[in-house]
Amino acid sequence: MLNMNGISKVYQTEMVQTHALQDFNLQVNEGEFIAVTGPSGSGKTTFLNIAGVLEPFTQGEYLLDGVDIGKLNDNQRADIRNQKIGYIFQGFNLIPDLNLYENVEVPLRYRGIKAPERKRRIEESLEQVGLASRAKHLPQQLSGGQQQRVAIARALAGKPRFLLADEPTGNLDSLMARQVMELLEKINQDGATIVMVTHDSELARRAPRNIQVVDGQIADFSLYQGNPAAVVGV
Amino acid sequence: MLFHYIDLSWRSFKRTPMVSALMIIAIAIGIGVTMTSLSVYHMMSADPIPSKSSQLHHVQLLTLDEERAWWTKDDMPYQVTYQDAMNLLSADLPYRRTAMLKAGFAVHLDNSDIKPFIEQARVASADIFAMFNLKFIYGGAWSSDDEESSAAVVVIAQSLNEKLFQGENSVGKTINLDDMTVRIVGVIKDWPTYVKYYDLNNGAFREPEQVFLPFSLVAPNEIESWGNHNSWKAQSNRNYQDLLNSEVFWVQYWVELPTQQDNEAYASFLMSYMAEQQKIGRFARKELKYALRDVNEMMVYREVVNEDNKILVMLSFMFLAVCLANILGLLLAKFLRRAPEVGVRRALGASKTQVFIQHLVEVGLLGMIGGLFGILIAQVGLWGMRTSNSAYMAIADMDLTMLLAAPVIAVSVCILAGLYPAWLVCRTTPATHLKSQ
Repeated sequence: MLNMNGISKVYQTEMVQTHALQDFNLQVNEGEFIAVTGPSGSGKTTFLNIAGVLEPFTQGEYLLDGVDIGKLNDNQRADIRNQKIGYIFQGFNLIPDLNLYENVEVPLRYRGIKAPERKRRIEESLEQVGLASRAKHLPQQLSGGQQQRVAIARALAGKPRFLLADEPTGNLDSLMARQVMELLEKINQDGATIVMVTHDSELARRAPRNIQVVDGQIADFSLYQGNPAAVVGV
Repeated sequence: MLFHYIDLSWRSFKRTPMVSALMIIAIAIGIGVTMTSLSVYHMMSADPIPSKSSQLHHVQLLTLDEERAWWTKDDMPYQVTYQDAMNLLSADLPYRRTAMLKAGFAVHLDNSDIKPFIEQARVASADIFAMFNLKFIYGGAWSSDDEESSAAVVVIAQSLNEKLFQGENSVGKTINLDDMTVRIVGVIKDWPTYVKYYDLNNGAFREPEQVFLPFSLVAPNEIESWGNHNSWKAQSNRNYQDLLNSEVFWVQYWVELPTQQDNEAYASFLMSYMAEQQKIGRFARKELKYALRDVNEMMVYREVVNEDNKILVMLSFMFLAVCLANILGLLLAKFLRRAPEVGVRRALGASKTQVFIQHLVEVGLLGMIGGLFGILIAQVGLWGMRTSNSAYMAIADMDLTMLLAAPVIAVSVCILAGLYPAWLVCRTTPATHLKSQ
């Protein structure tokens, strides 16, 4: 599903060069649920951005579903994001002017899905996160947990094979966090591959596979469940 | 997707109503000022008779002696002498032609409550009606017999017929022009032109005449021209007959030449005419020279649209550019503030092109709304021009072309102003703003 070999990311300014990722190697198989942990500034988010084709890498090879991401142009990268990847962010990143229905609709519009099919998918995904009755509400009329569920519904509506979550429970209280985590587990059980960056060790332990990123490299890993052979990064 | 972008644009306006209103006001003022001057320019420079403009030719003859210079830019007198006009009229050629001059009379009726009033008249040949597409409501042009016999006949225009006879068929009735009683033989629709292209000697933007008399009445009735008289030769014109035989330029002459061959044939005729006149001592010069200009050439030659008008249009476009510079600044601020949302859209699969088009649709919509308000401002400006100076009565107006051009110009210039901000915002890296939201 995801194969990173020798990925490096360098942020260059006039004064300083920052190596956010160095020789980063990782293989993720279809259907896995991986938690990525590590201290602040270790490169977790950079890894997630590169994995999510949100920013380019400096060196190395990244294959996503067999596609060599490094060789894609900007439009092809946008297509990959739209077709294959779903995102859940710590800050929810809902568009404030759009109601829940319209927020979930955004990626579907860019995919060119016809209106009746869009409607079906939106209703289905809002139903899945328990917010079907709030479809006409604006994001600011919801609690943080509800907003994160909308973000999950938006990610689910595109039926992505690969779901990336960056601190999905970071802005939520423990009850809400648990609900969101349960939702992610259910989505994983339904077949989606999930990579989740988190600071919360309790949540990380619930993921079948853990990766720890330190100084832009995978420093350690612990296997709670799953297939050890799946992990190749060191 | 276009409707979706329009919907997003509308939401964007509602989200930032003050900034949007400022931009719309800036566009509206810019477009209003530009369209005011452009409309006047457009009306001034428009072809006044598109179906005939390339066929109707104005004749000029260089009668001055060899060593004499004239004050026009090509040394050619604008008008011709009466004797040349009469000679050209009598030539045996298959072309419609008319000599003409402006006159004026006190118009009055016998046994009428209508007080006498002054009315300008055009004294011309019968061909003027067919040549200049003047349509008859009642009757028709005077006959060649009328011309030959110098019959006291007249054709009047619809407005005058309305004034004198309440619009009824007045053919056969008589009116008095000063002391001359003339019989009405026809009533035409008012001459539908706002540029007096057929006689530019007393201002291009004057009302066309309402009274038309046969040119054959000039000599017997000693009709005084209300137009220009110019002479290069010291002659003593002690009476009207002297004027008729003089070298004074006071008659306009037009001929209809349907094809290029006709044009060439008529040019050749003019050369032989001038050579013939040399035998009797006129056209005392080595190189014979004439000018045959069609309607549009004549409008350029006589500078109907002068340099001042062009400068005014340029200045108004510069004012529009200043308005656009302001809009560009506002758009930059507005779009860059939206970068986080664009980051989300890019992350969710929007391509740069889609983001770019979305923002261009928004500026296009701004331009459309601003353009519509601009039309209103232009209407106020044109109304102001019409009320301040009667010369602008007919030309300070927006025709359909200008009404359609206003939003097109507004949308185009707004898109031009929006290109850079839209390009800047579409280059938003998806990852940049996601963490910060």
